[in-house]
Amino acid sequence: CFISLRTFTRQGTCLFRPQFGILCRHAVPMGTTANEEMNTFWAKNNKLNRPMSPHLTIYKWSMPMMMSITHRGTGVGLSGGISAFALLALVLPGNYPYYLDLIHSLSVGPALLSLAKFGIAFPVSYHTLNGIRHLFWDSGKGFKIPEVYRSGYVVIVLSILTSIAAIAYM
Amino acid sequence: MDEHALFYRSSLLSRTLVAQQKDQDCPYPLTARIHGSSSLYAGSVSKAASLHWTGERVVSVLLLAMGPAAYYFPGPAVDYSLAAALTLHGHWGIGQVLTDYVHGEPKIKMVNAGLFLLSTVTFAGLCYFNYNDVGICKAVALLWSK
Repeated sequence: CFISLRTFTRQGTCLFRPQFGILCRHAVPMGTTANEEMNTFWAKNNKLNRPMSPHLTIYKWSMPMMMSITHRGTGVGLSGGISAFALLALVLPGNYPYYLDLIHSLSVGPALLSLAKFGIAFPVSYHTLNGIRHLFWDSGKGFKIPEVYRSGYVVIVLSILTSIAAIAYM
Repeated sequence: MDEHALFYRSSLLSRTLVAQQKDQDCPYPLTARIHGSSSLYAGSVSKAASLHWTGERVVSVLLLAMGPAAYYFPGPAVDYSLAAALTLHGHWGIGQVLTDYVHGEPKIKMVNAGLFLLSTVTFAGLCYFNYNDVGICKAVALLWSK
């Protein structure tokens, strides 16, 4: 979703070029920002008590859509995890090795341990690799639909592989 | 959709527009200069949003570089840099999520204040951890050792 305070330009006809004798298209900046336009939209529709049209429930889900929301989900999850970690660091009395040994002493089996490691490694690697994909888009590259799908599959495969590698070799 | 190329740009850039009209009276291509802050528009536009966007990308790239940095050069310099970059990247990221889903002036203000508080506490907690405990790099290493 691109939300910014970028001012949109609107087509206007410029009439101060009489030597051409024809109407030429000229970009004229609007008086409102994108943010203002959005707020106006929501204020008006909420005031009129309008229901929202169905969207997520009716559109066909595509791979790029799923990857996008997964990128957001992993981002929110990782951010929450970091904040939780920071809060615990401030609040809990003991130090980190103490709590790590505490968790280890619960003698969690190797399968569950690997699962937990995967649960941390996969969001990190997926969000990082898809993040790189986003940065390529930001530079203007890779927008053709086949490219979008191809880069998407590469991200998914590499995420799984790097997560497994992180568990197996580190 | 007409054949004219339309450019939406921040108003401080100037772009050449090549337009083609298929009308009888104009068989040749037109070139017109688009001036953002032209004489038709007296006000100026804040670059805040554009700079914020660029800032987000810069922090993302820096955070990316800190991965190998943490692996090959663990220590307090990377620990505190990681604390700052992670917090800022997360703060701006959650900010975008809130902008997308929260509407209405008072609600927007409230959740952004809450986010600011959370990010401040997060940064404080990570710095506290770096100072009084093993630090982020060591923590990850220890976590993975078992």
